[in-house]
Amino acid sequence: MIRIAAVGDLHYGDGSKEILRPSLQHLQDRADLLLLAGDLTRCGGPEEVKILADELRDLPIPMVAVLGNHDYHADREDQVRRVLEAARVRVLEGEATSIDVDGVRVGIAGTKGFGGGFRGAHGSDFGEPEMKAFVGHTKMLSDRLERALTGLDADLRIALLHYSPIEATLEGERLEIYPFLGSYLLAEAVDNAGADLVLHGHAHHGAEKGRTPAGIPVRNVAQPVIRHAYNIYTLEAGRQVLPAAAGGIS
Amino acid sequence: MSEPRADYLPEAIREKLIHDPRVAEQDLRVEVQARRVRLGGNVASPQLKQRITEVAQELLPDYEVVNETTVVSAAEPDGEEPVS
Repeated sequence: MIRIAAVGDLHYGDGSKEILRPSLQHLQDRADLLLLAGDLTRCGGPEEVKILADELRDLPIPMVAVLGNHDYHADREDQVRRVLEAARVRVLEGEATSIDVDGVRVGIAGTKGFGGGFRGAHGSDFGEPEMKAFVGHTKMLSDRLERALTGLDADLRIALLHYSPIEATLEGERLEIYPFLGSYLLAEAVDNAGADLVLHGHAHHGAEKGRTPAGIPVRNVAQPVIRHAYNIYTLEAGRQVLPAAAGGIS
Repeated sequence: MSEPRADYLPEAIREKLIHDPRVAEQDLRVEVQARRVRLGGNVASPQLKQRITEVAQELLPDYEVVNETTVVSAAEPDGEEPVS
């Protein structure tokens, strides 16, 4: 059994010091991995993420993160990434990593993801260049996620996102902002590739639990949703939801 | 700030709070009634809650600021959830 600790939307910045640290003291005894689902900073400042990195760096378990929209706000996401990686937090964007946990290979593919909406009400890359860029960004990141997941040779596979792949974990948010909270294209990527678990954040007023259309469990680990320093999910190898045969359009 | 029409004041405040780096919080609820501003939503720390009050008061010095935001717990979880 693999124990995954996960949280997103910590929004560290001035005044955040020590918010998490007391709850991390026993984490190494309770979890095999820590996954961070983006929005680790308030405004995307390297000095903000340094406060978090200083609380994480001594944790003796593997840590993997994606960045969120807040982490891009200062246009210094590369520096944010470097600060995290200096604290042994592997940051993924359209990439994957595989971690050996007592002989079980846990593969994690990660992307920030982006918005667009959900089935029946998704934006199209049609019309103005701004609209093409918006939806095109989601398509590009979803394609990269699918490739990263598909390329993983692992016993367990996890998709780590910031934006939501499904509507169910947005329940509680205003319907008007769903297109800014996620995209079904992310779920389609995961369902095409197959996975054991999808984690995301971003939707602070959403719900914790849902499933992709193919049945893969999705958990919204935004800290205001889980209302703890992290949640822990356990996975058994060999029970993965495999992609269904492609059908429909030929 | 130059005061917008009353109909647009809550959204103007919300935008200011999003873009003020001392706050940068996108999920705040802002309601304005008479000369009172009520703020709601989740925040990560008591310090941030206090800062939100201060920034809102700076923006609208002639209004009463009622900060009803909730500080979210960062305690350890009690258990774990088997998902497969």
